[in-house]
Amino acid sequence: MSVEKSLEKPRVRIAGVGYLNAAPLLFGLDRDPDVELFLGSPAEVTRRLAEGEADVALVPVAGAASIGDLAFLDLGIVARGPVRSVVVVAEKPLEEIEELALDASSRTSAILARIELSARRQGKPLRFKAMPPSEAIASVKGLTGALVIGDPAIDLAERFPFALDLGAAFRERTGLPFVFAAWAGRREAFTPELVERLREAARVGLVARDTLADRYAEARGEDPQRTRDYLHSSIHYAIGPAEKSGLVRFFDDAAKAGLLPETDLASSWIETGPRASGPEGTAPPSVDDLLERVMDGGRLSAAQALRIYREADLFALGIAADHVRKKKARAGSSDVVTYIVDRNVNYTNVCTTSCRFCAFYRPVGHEEGYVLSREVLGEKLQEVVDAGGVQILLQGGLNPELRIEWYEDLFRWIKATYGLGLHGLSPEEILHIAQLEELPVATVLTRLRAAGLDSVPGGGAEILVDRVRRVIAKAKCTSDEWLGVMRTAHHLGFRSSATMMYGTVDTAEERVLHLLKLRELQDETGGFTAFFCWDFQYEKGTRIHAGDHGTQLYLRTQALARLVLDNVDHVGSSWVTQGPGVGQLALRFGADDWGSVMFEENVVSSAGTTFRMNAEMIERQVHAAGFRVARRNVRYDHLTEPA
Amino acid sequence: MTNTEKTEMPTFAEVAVKVRAGQRLTAEDGLALFETPDFLGLGALANEVRERRHGDRTYYNRNVRLETTNVCVANCRFCSFAKLETGMPGAVTMTVAQAIETLKAKTANTAPPTEVHVVNGLNPDLPFTYYEELLRALAEHMPTASRKCFTAVEIHYFARRYELTPRQVLERLQAAGLQSLPGGGAEIFHPEVRTRICDDKATAEEWLAVHREAHALGMFTNATMLYGHVETYAHRVDHLLRLRAQQDQSIAGGKARFLAFIPLAFHPDGNGMRQLPGTTGIDDLRTLAVSRLMLDNFDHIKAYWVSSTPKVAQIGLSFGADDVDGTIVSETIYTAASKKAPEGLLEEDLVRLIREAGRIPVERDTVYNVLKEHPRAALEGAFKVRDRRQGKHLQILGEAE
Repeated sequence: MSVEKSLEKPRVRIAGVGYLNAAPLLFGLDRDPDVELFLGSPAEVTRRLAEGEADVALVPVAGAASIGDLAFLDLGIVARGPVRSVVVVAEKPLEEIEELALDASSRTSAILARIELSARRQGKPLRFKAMPPSEAIASVKGLTGALVIGDPAIDLAERFPFALDLGAAFRERTGLPFVFAAWAGRREAFTPELVERLREAARVGLVARDTLADRYAEARGEDPQRTRDYLHSSIHYAIGPAEKSGLVRFFDDAAKAGLLPETDLASSWIETGPRASGPEGTAPPSVDDLLERVMDGGRLSAAQALRIYREADLFALGIAADHVRKKKARAGSSDVVTYIVDRNVNYTNVCTTSCRFCAFYRPVGHEEGYVLSREVLGEKLQEVVDAGGVQILLQGGLNPELRIEWYEDLFRWIKATYGLGLHGLSPEEILHIAQLEELPVATVLTRLRAAGLDSVPGGGAEILVDRVRRVIAKAKCTSDEWLGVMRTAHHLGFRSSATMMYGTVDTAEERVLHLLKLRELQDETGGFTAFFCWDFQYEKGTRIHAGDHGTQLYLRTQALARLVLDNVDHVGSSWVTQGPGVGQLALRFGADDWGSVMFEENVVSSAGTTFRMNAEMIERQVHAAGFRVARRNVRYDHLTEPA
Repeated sequence: MTNTEKTEMPTFAEVAVKVRAGQRLTAEDGLALFETPDFLGLGALANEVRERRHGDRTYYNRNVRLETTNVCVANCRFCSFAKLETGMPGAVTMTVAQAIETLKAKTANTAPPTEVHVVNGLNPDLPFTYYEELLRALAEHMPTASRKCFTAVEIHYFARRYELTPRQVLERLQAAGLQSLPGGGAEIFHPEVRTRICDDKATAEEWLAVHREAHALGMFTNATMLYGHVETYAHRVDHLLRLRAQQDQSIAGGKARFLAFIPLAFHPDGNGMRQLPGTTGIDDLRTLAVSRLMLDNFDHIKAYWVSSTPKVAQIGLSFGADDVDGTIVSETIYTAASKKAPEGLLEEDLVRLIREAGRIPVERDTVYNVLKEHPRAALEGAFKVRDRRQGKHLQILGEAE
């Protein structure tokens, strides 16, 4: 970096949604030398703000609520009635549809759709299915409707017999305007200069609406008058008292439905000019208040989760997690801990990713590289059958010599010969096969399922924040790719687990963001059965130092996960990495599952962690912790009577 | 237990009120604490007391363990280490010169330890002068290390074997350089248990008498309890109460007293009670917590990492313990009873273990004089959030980034 460059004032990083309706608020920012402007999808804009890659963002309000503790500027994207760009369409009346295809790119609209449809359907259940916008429209048929958002939605309503404009719906139900997005950021990011810059952009941008509309229409060969009308009549930009009330109402409705954290907006508005008189903003809730809320079923924002993670008393956190564990348990099972009799088989150690935290892999061509033969595998599988096991967990390196047919043959053989459940191939491996075969992920998964794959393990998630992934596992898939494979798998009907390996270069914030990403995908798909976390096992053979570690941190992290992942049924203790003593203690910090008997687990044991346990020992540990115990399958059905 | 007794048992909440009011707990209170299903409440209460006494300060020392003979006449069913006769395979008795050599070899690569901790089998084939010579040699060759040697069981055995009184034994050893006694050999005091697991060594009264005499001579000592075998919770409570009563007397005597209480988890590998399952993590932590609450006249409760594993000892620092013992530099008694027990930790490992628990590491000597208080500012684990833009925490081995 040159001296000149380092002396430069850092540019303010601004992110905004790249839709037409946002253009007036962003006017001129792209040419401002003091601004680094990023335009993207609502999800990407939210991610940038959450991960500190943007200082302020024109962000969908649901994303802002999930991040939490943000300040808002009184400028945003507002509908005071019909909005035209956020609509639910269907061939049948909306009271009758059974499934809703969602454009997953905007959670705000998805949540609004859930709230408005639920209000109109007297709670009649509705399945949600996330997919890209073009597919959402195409999937409207019979009892399947679609939520369509943004530019593709404008005037779509006229093409379907039944439609609900969600801006109009909210207005009709509450009498209030709806704020879709607003300028938000950490309070200290809103310097007076920046606030003025954003106001100025809006002032000029509102004047330039016709130009913006014409340019947009011309580029798409559309009628400029309709686009002008949209920007002038459907969308509003000022957030006044009525809009603020609308936002409070939306956040309340969403919090009651468990879809968003409780958000206190009273003191969140950036005041410019003389401070309004009247009572000061209410004090932020204490950590104990936050724990009370989450025990009552409230949802945590990232900021709230981080406060709990850092500040809560270890025991208060444990008690809250224990309480939530009990509430999540099926009726009559609040004192039951499950485990599964299965075996982790690592079919190959040949791998191309060279993750720094891994002591197990060997590069292609290395003399210690292996692919398990049928004979060796057969022996292992027979032992599982003999021990009363119900499945195998099949994971391996990314071995470029193994083609999809190899997996298909293997799976068919395992199914035909041993009849065991096949829990196998983490997202990384599935993506690897897709890339190797130049096939879509969905095709790979469909073929593997036809060959016998039952469910997908959640390994390789590490930390779903790309800053971390780039340091510890450069060659691995990105966070979005990992989540994308899981999304596809869940849509195809696979269930999967979710994991987190922390304790390398990750920060507390990044661990919280990891949990939020899992929670958001789970909102979409409901496909995760359970969550497991552990810290990086530093040993000879790994090439990175341990970061944040310790038993207290493990228990805090697991307990926090139990509180944040309010939509995931089970949390498992990682006794394999923590040892039986801490594994048992974890049952009092939110876990309701002991994992597996683990005949072997090569990846962790290569790093020197070699705890092993048979069923009898597991049951003794569980009983000594004061629980009944039951064996389970991969879907967490009890296979034995709890005893 | 009968129903009437059960209804007389105080609730956990009632015991907690007494603890917070600074009232002394009864045997029933102790039993209620052991039996409460409110495990996290128990931990929080013990932590409260621990923090009231010590804040976040957590002690460790740099010590070295030495066992000079594993020949032993005692018939302890829980022991995987000794009970050998001279000449049997595996029987080892070091000469004083060999003992010093061994000690020097053990500490060759470390800063001089501040304590040498000697525990032996009850060897009938050695003269009393062996022990006196050993102490003098330790004083000569490792002058900076405080000599914490011989459990009360050994002192009691010396008295019987060499026809002296325990006081005479202690006086002669003190004259030879003995400075304090370790807390071993207490096992479980109650005769219902003691006669089953170690019927031929010092009784509870004899064990306590040795410590009483040592305290009167100005020697500070520790106390232990070996739990998790055939005893009941009531036996554990009885054990704690006997220690507490002795400590009252010793404090009244005004000279010396027990410094730390160390619960020791029974390990079943390779001994006469190998059919037993051993303890679990929750039992280890519950025992630490109840000990902290019952022993209101003990300054320190130690989570002995060799006994409970470093990870459980670490969380033990949140369940009442304020000490993790020391670097040890190879221990052979527990390592004989468990394939998993590690032999030693480096000082930096102990400091890290304490810091990760969110505590302040304090290096102490044998009698808890502070030798070095590590700054809290250097806390690196748990909850310190680093500025990700500085990237200072990216310590990558091998290649430069």
